[in-house]
Amino acid sequence: MDITILGQQLLGYIPLGDIVLYLAPLNLFMFASTLAFTTIIAISKTETQVEAGFGTLKDREVKVDKSEFKIRRFLAIVCGLATAGAMITGDLFNFTLFVCLIGIVNIGIVAAVKQVDVLDAAFQYGLVAMIATLPLFGGAAMILASTGTISLLEIVDLPTTFMMVFGSLLLFIGVAGETGVAPFYATKAEMFRTPGSPFLLIIHLSSLLVIVRVIEILLIINKPF
Amino acid sequence: MANILLNVLIAFLMGSILFGLQRKIMARIQMRPGPPVIQHLLHTFKFFVKESSFPKTAAMPFYIAITAMLCVIWVSAVIVGPVTQGSLLLIFAIYALHKIVEHNAGSSSGSPYGKLSCVRAVFSAAAEVPLFAVLIIIYFKTGTMDLSQIIGFQTTNGPLIYSIPLAAAMFFVLILSKAPYSPFAITKGKDIISGYETEHFGLLRGYLMISESIAWYMLLWVFLTVFIGGLNPLMYLVGMVILSTVVAFINATTPILNPNHSIMMQASLALIGVVGSLILLL
Repeated sequence: MDITILGQQLLGYIPLGDIVLYLAPLNLFMFASTLAFTTIIAISKTETQVEAGFGTLKDREVKVDKSEFKIRRFLAIVCGLATAGAMITGDLFNFTLFVCLIGIVNIGIVAAVKQVDVLDAAFQYGLVAMIATLPLFGGAAMILASTGTISLLEIVDLPTTFMMVFGSLLLFIGVAGETGVAPFYATKAEMFRTPGSPFLLIIHLSSLLVIVRVIEILLIINKPF
Repeated sequence: MANILLNVLIAFLMGSILFGLQRKIMARIQMRPGPPVIQHLLHTFKFFVKESSFPKTAAMPFYIAITAMLCVIWVSAVIVGPVTQGSLLLIFAIYALHKIVEHNAGSSSGSPYGKLSCVRAVFSAAAEVPLFAVLIIIYFKTGTMDLSQIIGFQTTNGPLIYSIPLAAAMFFVLILSKAPYSPFAITKGKDIISGYETEHFGLLRGYLMISESIAWYMLLWVFLTVFIGGLNPLMYLVGMVILSTVVAFINATTPILNPNHSIMMQASLALIGVVGSLILLL
C-alpha cells in the first residue's frame, strides 16, 4: 500500500462493512494511548478530596460513594472506547457519531455528582453540546453532498471546493462545542472541581485528542496545494 | 535501541542543565548568587534515593501510573523527533497528552493545591493547545507535517523563521509557558506550593523531573528544527542555550500573571499568530 496522508505513510486499513479503520502512525499512537488510559481508569479507585472545613479547624473529606463510582466508571470506559474509535475511524460520519457519543457520556460522567456548582457547569456544557450537534452533522453532510463520499481515504485525493471548506468550518464548530474546548472551556473547567480524578481524565483526554484528530481531518479535506 | 537510549539520555541531561542555567541567569539578574548550574540534575538524582511515600487520599494505582505515563510520552517524543524525524502532528498529540497528565497528576492526590493546579491546567490547555496548533501553519507553507521533509524544505528555501515569523513567535510563547517561574506558569505558581507536583515525593517526583527535563529539551528541539532547519549538534546546543537565556531574562523580570490574564494573553497571542501568519502566507 502506498498512500501518504500529511507526510505519514498509511500502514493499512481494516474495512468492516461501512466502518473503515484507518492505520497511520498518528492514529495508532492516539488509539493506543486512549486504550492505555482507559485501562488505568478501569482499575483505579478515586481520590478523597481534602478541603478546609468552614468555621472549624478540622478538614472536610469529599468522597465518591459506591453507586456513583460504578456509574461514573462505566461511563468513563464508554467515553474511552468512543475516543479510541474516533482516533482510528477513516469514515467522517462515524467520526461525528463518536464525537457525539463523547459529548453525551462527558455530561453523564459529571451528572452523577451531587454538587450544585458542578451540575450547573454540566448543564451549561450540555446545552452547548446539544446546539453543536447541528453544525457537527451538518458539516459532515455538506462534505458528503459536495464530494459524494465520507471516506477520508477517498476525500484525500479530491480537490478542495468552496462547499468543502464551508462544511469543514461547520464540522470544526460542531467538534469545538461537543468537546467543550475554547471558547467553551471556561464552562467545562468548572466540571473538574468535583472529586473522581480518573473519570475527569477521560473528559480531558477525549476533548484534546478529538481536537488533534479533527485538525488532521480538516487538513485532509482542505488541501492548500 | 542504542540510538533511542542515547537520545533520551542527551535529552534528559541537556534539559536538566538548561533548567539549571536558566535558574543561574535569573539569580544573577536578581543580584543573587543562585544555585550551581547542575542543581536541577542533582535534585532529580536526589529524589531517586529519597523515601517514597503515598498520600492515603490518593487515587491508586492511577496516582502512580500517571507519573510513569508522563515519562513514557516524552520518551515517545524523543523517538518521534530526534531519532526518527517523524510527524509533527504526532508531537502535537504527545503535547496534548502531556497537558492531560499534568492535569491529572494534580487531581489524583486529593490535595487542594494539586486540585487547583489541575483546574488551572484545564484552563491553560485552552490557550496552550491553540499555540501549539500554530504549527499547522507550517503545513500550509511546506505541504507536509513530516519533520524530515520540513528540514529538506528549509535546506532548499531557507529557514521558516523568515517566512512565518509570527508562527515562530507564538511557538516561543508556548516554550515560555512551560518554563519554571514564567509569567504563564500558572500550574506551578508558588501560591499553590508546587502545583501538581505538591504531593508527589521520592521516586515519583524523580520521574516527574526527568519528564520535565526531556519536555524542555524537546520543545527547544522542535522550535530549532521546524523554524531554523536541520542543525549540527553544536548549533543545536548554541540555539538551546540562547533560547533558555532569553526565557531566563523574561522570567527574571516579569511576575507570574493571574490565571485569567495568563490565559487571555496566550489566547490573544495565538489568535494574532494564526490570523497574522495566514495573512502573511496569502
